[in-house]
Amino acid sequence: MKKIITTIALFVAVISSAQGQFEQGMGKAFQLWKEGKNTEASDMFERISAADKSSWLPNYYVALVNTTASFGIQDKTQVNALLNKAQNALDAEMIKDQNNAELYVMQAMIYTAWIVVDPMTNGMKYSGKTIEMYTKAEALSPQNPRAVFGKADFQIQGAKWTGVDTKPLCQEVDKAIGLFATFKPQTPFSPKWGLDRALEAQKNCK
Amino acid sequence: MKTIILLFASLFSLTLFSQTTISGKIVNEKGVPIAGANVYIEGSYDGASTSENGDFAFATTATGNQNLVASSLVYETSNIVIDVAHFKNQTIKLRDNVNTLDAVIITAGSLDSGSKARVSVLKPLDIVTTAGSAGNIVAALQTLPGTQTVGEDGRLFVRGGEANETQTYVDGMRVPQPYGSSPNNLPTRSRFSPFLFSGISFSTGGYSAEYGDALSSVLLLNTIDEPDQSKTEISVMTVGVGLGNTQKWKKSSFSINTSYINLTPYQALVPQDVEWKSAPQALSGEMVYRYNFERGIFKMYAAFDASQFIIKQENINSIDKITVNSKNDNLYFNSSYNGFFGANWNITAGLSYGYNQLKSDIDLDNLGNAENAVNMKLKLKKNFSNRFKLSFGADYFITKYDENFTRNAGNTFDYGYQNTIGALYTEADIFFSKKLAAKVGVRASANDLTNDNFISPRISFAYKMAKFSQLSFAYGDFSQTPSVEYIKFSKNNQFESEKASHFILNYQYSKEGRTLRAEAYYKDYSNLVRFDSPTVAYNSIFTNDGKGYAKGLDLFWRDGKTIKNLEYWISYSYIDTERLYKNYPTQVTPNFVPDNSLSIVTKYWITDWKSQIGFTNSFSTGRPYNNPNETKFMNGKTKSYNDLSFNWAYLLTTQKILYFSVSNVLGANNVYGYNYAVKPDANGEYRRSAIKPAADRFFFIGFFWTISKNKNDNQLKNL
Repeated sequence: MKKIITTIALFVAVISSAQGQFEQGMGKAFQLWKEGKNTEASDMFERISAADKSSWLPNYYVALVNTTASFGIQDKTQVNALLNKAQNALDAEMIKDQNNAELYVMQAMIYTAWIVVDPMTNGMKYSGKTIEMYTKAEALSPQNPRAVFGKADFQIQGAKWTGVDTKPLCQEVDKAIGLFATFKPQTPFSPKWGLDRALEAQKNCK
Repeated sequence: MKTIILLFASLFSLTLFSQTTISGKIVNEKGVPIAGANVYIEGSYDGASTSENGDFAFATTATGNQNLVASSLVYETSNIVIDVAHFKNQTIKLRDNVNTLDAVIITAGSLDSGSKARVSVLKPLDIVTTAGSAGNIVAALQTLPGTQTVGEDGRLFVRGGEANETQTYVDGMRVPQPYGSSPNNLPTRSRFSPFLFSGISFSTGGYSAEYGDALSSVLLLNTIDEPDQSKTEISVMTVGVGLGNTQKWKKSSFSINTSYINLTPYQALVPQDVEWKSAPQALSGEMVYRYNFERGIFKMYAAFDASQFIIKQENINSIDKITVNSKNDNLYFNSSYNGFFGANWNITAGLSYGYNQLKSDIDLDNLGNAENAVNMKLKLKKNFSNRFKLSFGADYFITKYDENFTRNAGNTFDYGYQNTIGALYTEADIFFSKKLAAKVGVRASANDLTNDNFISPRISFAYKMAKFSQLSFAYGDFSQTPSVEYIKFSKNNQFESEKASHFILNYQYSKEGRTLRAEAYYKDYSNLVRFDSPTVAYNSIFTNDGKGYAKGLDLFWRDGKTIKNLEYWISYSYIDTERLYKNYPTQVTPNFVPDNSLSIVTKYWITDWKSQIGFTNSFSTGRPYNNPNETKFMNGKTKSYNDLSFNWAYLLTTQKILYFSVSNVLGANNVYGYNYAVKPDANGEYRRSAIKPAADRFFFIGFFWTISKNKNDNQLKNL
């Protein structure tokens, strides 16, 4: 009897130590990201994704880190490399699960980044697709604040030259801010970002 | 018992958690350290990022032989097997990834547009927002270097070559009749609306072994893989109406675009220099169906076009005007599949069919012809690595052409030809490094009608000299079945294929929104068709002993950076060419070639006005013409040509656009050439009439309305 218990204990210990590794790794990656070490953070997420294929989160963050990193960069070669890396990481998860709203929000972010790099070439090509991705995300998860806010914000940004009425879009931003308050991330590492940007957008609406 | 278990457990955990440190350095091919590279044991959490000096060190619980992965953004990922116990202070070299933006690309001869092009000389929107192009793909391409604007013809003339020396392809399949029919000396248009195409690659020479039966150039058009959304588009124009609809489903989509053009109201308002008895009318449509498979895409493209006009044209040889009543029906269909299979294999298979029927009554004479053309194609490509790709394929063309001519309601003459061309080709793309690349190919073809075979080599190299500049060189041999104007009389004559060789040297500088291209070329023609009569006729005697050359310099500068909201480009072409062909008695510069051509295109976006305003100025020096009053052949030269066009697109709301354009703002009195009388008049002089545009200016006003769920979309890209 004792023998069985010990074996179980040992087994649980091994499992929990593996779980601990995931959490430890994710924690460290977030720490690096917070410190502005984008490359190191992306590397860390990438290593976790290679070791633990069961969670979609590491690849999601590889995509997120590289996409957000691309926004401040002028060098097109570098931007191209970052966005390709982001796209590859996202593709790896999208193929496993086509019903995850966060992945569609991420895809919309990558398209937006392409538009930011070269609006003349990519504007027409990607703006429709960006909206389409947000719409899909919203359909899958109507309460997801990132989907609601992302879609509204993207259209507000475009309103400068499309001349679209921003009033209903600003109402959407308000709605998203409400959703941020009620949104419950499924795990400690699940995406929960976006509130600060939404508040910023709300300020600009007034 | 308890102690044994505990002992076992602790032993087990010891082996499980005993750690080894592995360390080393990551460098590039030149030995320069790479910072921020990701180094880890595959399948474990153990790894590290390299420091500024490229160093890494990390502890691992893994033992024995493991895969060590080293990756960094712009390098090829390395995956090596290491013995964990003995991996300390080792250096790993990462090779440059040749798939990055800053790698060399082969640019000699090709002008690319669209998403796949790394250095776009034309952006997708340009086709339609270039003033003077009026949505005609070919007119936009005529603002690029290496082309000659031939105002009375409208087709693409490339580097001293005749218009039929350019072949057009849609999704890799040949289009046998890319232009609509038009009266003598009035320009034709490309049949394709820019709306359905996402990428254009225009090669002015030295192109890939994949393409054949073209002496000068290929124009490759690719339909959009995936439309952005379902929508309906309505256009109301001074020249007609258009309706488009796109439906998008989960894996497939369908787009249709139809238009009805009738110039009657327009010509009632704007006086024309020619007399139309019935203004040109055309009903046309294009459709694309796409189906996405897991690893491939199937596309079906179809276009139809029915047009007619009746014109009374002055003719220097007759007192009365000549009435031409013309009807043209055209159908084009193609289907293609492009997909991946196995380990990095890519397959392209396609079939195209083109049918063209023309009926023309010229006073009392009747001319009718019909062409059926089929193209089949199979292409396989294997990516052995980023650095070596091999493709090979087969191409098969069948053409049947029948024509009949009835003179003055009398006897009818029937003639025509049938031809098949079979070709095999193979080509390798090789990257020696990020700086040096080559494309080496060969095409073997057999032509049934001309009864000849060719082995045509195609070679190009590119070398990157500095971060933003590179040199390319291309060489190729090309052959083509002679023009239908000749080979329709094949019954009594045996023709041979015409031949050309191209040598191209290209320099390109490209940096953030600015591109400079300079290209020098030499083209050698041989085996050109000659005939002995004043015009081509069934009883002409043909030979294949013509020849010629073309050499020149093309310059292109594009800048969208220096001035905010202003995008402009400048093209300049110098050409020196002579040909001994047709019924030319001596080798001279043909009448469609000006020595110097200059185009300046500007587009300015005014945010406050929600408008885009564009100007295009095309200038070329005079073109040669033959004056039979002079003894020397082709000794005349027209005065220079200039056209300033203007356009204005105004966004009423996001989805409603008002568009206005006018050509030849300055009202230049352009003359393309002269028609001389066949016989001299009483004074012994040959009289002449000038070949001029049908009207001094062309005005266009259009209203474009998009109806879709996404309110941001509009037809700006169609203008």
